[in-house]
Amino acid sequence: MPEKLLQLSDIGKRFGANRVLESVSFDLYAGEVHVLAGENGAGKTTLIRILAGIHPEHEGTIELGGRTVRFRNPIEASRHGISVIHQELSLVESMSVADNICLGREPARAGGLLLDRRAQLERAGELCARLGLSFTREDLGRRAEQFPLSVKNRIEIAKALAGDARIIVMDEPTSALNHEEVERLFALIDHLKARGCGIVYITHKMEEIYRVADRITVLRDGRRVGTAAAADCPPPTLIRWMIGRDLAEQFAPRAGPAATGVRAPRLVVSRFTVPSPGPGRPPAVRDLSVAVRAGEIVGFAGLQGAGCSELFNGLFGAYGAVCGGRVEIDGEPVRPESPGASIRRGLAFLTGDRKNTGLVLGMSVERNVSLSSLPRVSPGGVLSPGLERSLAEHYVGALGIRLESVDQETGALSGGNQQKVALAKWLATRPRVLLLEEPTRGVDVGAKHEIYGLLRGLAAEGLAILLISTEMPELLGLCDRVVALHRGRVMGVFDRSEATPERVLAAAMGADVPQGN
Amino acid sequence: MTTRLSPTALILALACASPAFPKDGGKWVVGMSQCNLGEPWRVQMNADIRREAAAHPELELIFKDAQNDTLRQRAQIEEFVNSGVDLLIVSPKEAAPLTPPVAEAYRRGVPVIVLDRRVLGSDYTEFIGANNRMIGKAAGAWAVGRLAELPAVRKGARARVVELEGLMTSIPAQDRGAGFHEALKGAPVDIVYTADMKWLEPQARMEMESALSVQPQIDLVFAHNDPGAHGAYLAAQAAGRERDIIFVGIDALAQEGQVYVRQGVLAATFEYPTGGREAVEDALKILRRESVPKEVTLRSRVFTPDNVASGGEWLK
Amino acid sequence: MRTLRRWIERPEGRALFALLFILVIGCVFNAHDAFFRWGTHRDMLRQVSVYGILACGMTLVIVTGGIDLSVGSVLGLCAVVFAQLSLRRGLPAPVAVPAVLAVGAAAGLASGAAVARYRIQPFIATLAMMVFARGLAKWLSGGEKVSRAVQQPDGSFSYVDLPGAFERLDAKVWGGNVAVVTLVFLGCVALSWVVLTRLRYGRYLYATGGNEEAARLSGVPVRRAKLLAYGMSGVFGAVAGICQAAQEQQGDPEAGVSYELTAIAIAVIGGNSLAGGRGGIGLTLLGAMTIGYLEKILSINAVAESSRLMLTGAIILAAVLLQRRRIE
Repeated sequence: MPEKLLQLSDIGKRFGANRVLESVSFDLYAGEVHVLAGENGAGKTTLIRILAGIHPEHEGTIELGGRTVRFRNPIEASRHGISVIHQELSLVESMSVADNICLGREPARAGGLLLDRRAQLERAGELCARLGLSFTREDLGRRAEQFPLSVKNRIEIAKALAGDARIIVMDEPTSALNHEEVERLFALIDHLKARGCGIVYITHKMEEIYRVADRITVLRDGRRVGTAAAADCPPPTLIRWMIGRDLAEQFAPRAGPAATGVRAPRLVVSRFTVPSPGPGRPPAVRDLSVAVRAGEIVGFAGLQGAGCSELFNGLFGAYGAVCGGRVEIDGEPVRPESPGASIRRGLAFLTGDRKNTGLVLGMSVERNVSLSSLPRVSPGGVLSPGLERSLAEHYVGALGIRLESVDQETGALSGGNQQKVALAKWLATRPRVLLLEEPTRGVDVGAKHEIYGLLRGLAAEGLAILLISTEMPELLGLCDRVVALHRGRVMGVFDRSEATPERVLAAAMGADVPQGN
Repeated sequence: MTTRLSPTALILALACASPAFPKDGGKWVVGMSQCNLGEPWRVQMNADIRREAAAHPELELIFKDAQNDTLRQRAQIEEFVNSGVDLLIVSPKEAAPLTPPVAEAYRRGVPVIVLDRRVLGSDYTEFIGANNRMIGKAAGAWAVGRLAELPAVRKGARARVVELEGLMTSIPAQDRGAGFHEALKGAPVDIVYTADMKWLEPQARMEMESALSVQPQIDLVFAHNDPGAHGAYLAAQAAGRERDIIFVGIDALAQEGQVYVRQGVLAATFEYPTGGREAVEDALKILRRESVPKEVTLRSRVFTPDNVASGGEWLK
Repeated sequence: MRTLRRWIERPEGRALFALLFILVIGCVFNAHDAFFRWGTHRDMLRQVSVYGILACGMTLVIVTGGIDLSVGSVLGLCAVVFAQLSLRRGLPAPVAVPAVLAVGAAAGLASGAAVARYRIQPFIATLAMMVFARGLAKWLSGGEKVSRAVQQPDGSFSYVDLPGAFERLDAKVWGGNVAVVTLVFLGCVALSWVVLTRLRYGRYLYATGGNEEAARLSGVPVRRAKLLAYGMSGVFGAVAGICQAAQEQQGDPEAGVSYELTAIAIAVIGGNSLAGGRGGIGLTLLGAMTIGYLEKILSINAVAESSRLMLTGAIILAAVLLQRRRIE
């Protein structure tokens, strides 16, 4: 019987009124890989953060080797042998490899005052050798930023091991690695298992789950759905566990474009490519083709790193003129180069992050609504208060935004009303194509339904709508077609009639599924 | 005026056997370390040195500006010594921190002329400078004499004076003020308003405007430099009171204070000589192994509308 | 009472409150009634004008979330150029003034390009311009004041007449009750007000400072907005330089040293947020009056320099504290 390293019992966590974890239990034995699976927002990250001491306030208990502990901060967690390799690398790029590996645990002399550089180099060299990194002493002294991502990834693991961690958490460790590097990582995991470490592994990739997992735990909506040995949990079971809820709710059938006659394509995208976000990474979107007719709503499904957001940003010209491929609006070729140019051509882009990229929260509602349409309310460059006021009031009324006055500061509104202000800003530009990223994020149920109604109405008026959502019911209920993306490529296109949560999710996780007809 | 021979300087000059003629038939290289070129007076000092040296083709001058930074000046002095200059002229920013590099240069056999401000000890060849306290005192004495001629003062009233001080933390301002106050002792003169104008003309104008608004009668303005006196004049002119007030300044630069006297803005300005010309003259003497005094106090002139055309009048 | 509370809740109300606080101090320490004479107030308005003009440009930049440290040096550079063109070369004002404004605009646009195009932090980009412009001013003037005295080849001096533009700018109008530079300052305030509240580009400045990324994705020409702000700051620096030269009757390459700090203090005391996206030129006007009266009151009471510095520091802090939104 292997030793039990970790037992989490009845862990719960709420942020304000929002409950994100409810009575979750999780355990880990020496020498095993325990995969933590679930959709975005299922609570995986919060659970890991509690384990790593980042959220000291939580319900439930953490036991390590049979002793109950409570971490007040990440340093305490790391002293107890818990090491987290985050999705985003946490190396100090400007420091040497050896400095990074021993960061926080530098071997010291003279009562802790002096850094023992020689001991540090030896320690780092030994660790790297164990991980199959053939670093010379010179390499150990070079700055971390000089190495490719895959090497950095393993430096990060070496850093995790420098503290003699027995519990290692890997949060999507392969997101930036190529095939060969992934294989080396798996070999390393086998090595760690043999040494008696326990590994908590988070991934969105189906093939990886079955490659590394000894056991699988699935979270959904902050609760644990089930735990099973990998062999007892085949992909269909896994996907059913992850989706779970009843999807038929909420969305009444709607009249699609077919009912009003097939309309001409509004937006045609062919072989669209968005370059990689950083050196050494694959393109964010590769050779994507899609056509959206007037009146149609097309959804995009993808897990983290799939490239959905990058696709919209690229189409809108937010990255500048860097994307490859061809884009036509109403048969007229356009080249995405800047947001301003895109707006003039009839594109509108509701970003997923209202606070940081959507609204200027410190400005009034009126000024936010008119922000993208200023040329229309300022003939000759001079603002016309009357025109601006009537524009703002028109859209505030049309969208049913509840407020005292359009002079109110936008940041003071509720999330749902803020979202409607952002939508009002884009509708005021009189767009032909609407790109929506998470249009109901952080919005309460009532406002959600109002927004759904608005979107249907807009589609009926002839807009082409493209929608990203991580909420499966939203995608399936609202969209005429759903496109599943995985690592920047289209893995499946599903018509309304054939789109099931299982098929869409399987495609988004990279499993090969038969394409729709 | 104190003049005394410096045996040390002579012995050292001989011991080092520095040539009486430029080596290689070339030139004598003289390094000039100026503490700050932000003030017109110091720009003038460098200009005086340059003009005097122009008449002596055997001299080659290298100027360095320490930009009012003590440590930079120290480094520049060391650079000069290491590059093997034949003589050093230093106008130091402060005494204490610049004493070691000057002494070090002197001990390594490089003759050093210290200009305007002093260093500590006696490890230098020659000091040339003016005496701010004496100049302030001369200005005070002149002011007392001039104020005594005012009809009201003759009848027994006390004269009313505004003093616009230079930067309160600077030694020249303190010395000029002290000398001025010393001369005023016992005279029927009151200083009715004092302000720190930080050597700056706009600041002086602002302070003078305040003085004018609170003082219905002002007989004389004494500013620690000419731009300050000029700023005060502009303020009085704006108030229509410039004809009632006597303006006195210090420095008497050719393009500044002397011009104001010619224009009738200032009734008098007292020269604070740069010593640039004297420094070059004595540098040549030292290089030719002639003897120079250890200490030279520069004489100063007063410029008034009567004598400005003829080059001012030497103070006693 | 309700109206008073409403006023205090607005930033303009709080800035006005700070100004009234200073005015009360002035009434108490009135230096033998000097504070009750109009001349004192007229002089204060003249003295604060050059700082105020710089603060107008500073406000435009601060609204975009930036800072412009170069305004004092641009003032010095433009004072030198104006003196050289007008005083020395005798160019008429209609030629010399636009030329100087162009110099200021060029300096501002250079900082703006560094910030907007090359994404250098405003603090660093304008610090570089601050040093560079000061150097250029010294180089153009040979380190000496460009004054009416012109040195002849033989070392003697000749004098040029003061150009009419200098006299007109340093004059007073309306029965000698208002200085012309004060009118120039108020003109700059009015121009800034039009830009910030009436022009489309003014809205772009606020949006850029409020949330640059959201503004960019909303189609706001963020780069051009920043160029405009820094460019106008440069132009205001040139206007201030011309006023400074006229008042000193010379172009001093050392003019304007540390004026940028006063300009920032004026904007901040008025209640503009250094974080950007908020504030306005009215606040800057009130801030200028507050700083101006503070200096004037200390000056007419002949407070010693050491106490003056301590009091100024304390009162600036008190004025900013008064502006906090604490009155519920």
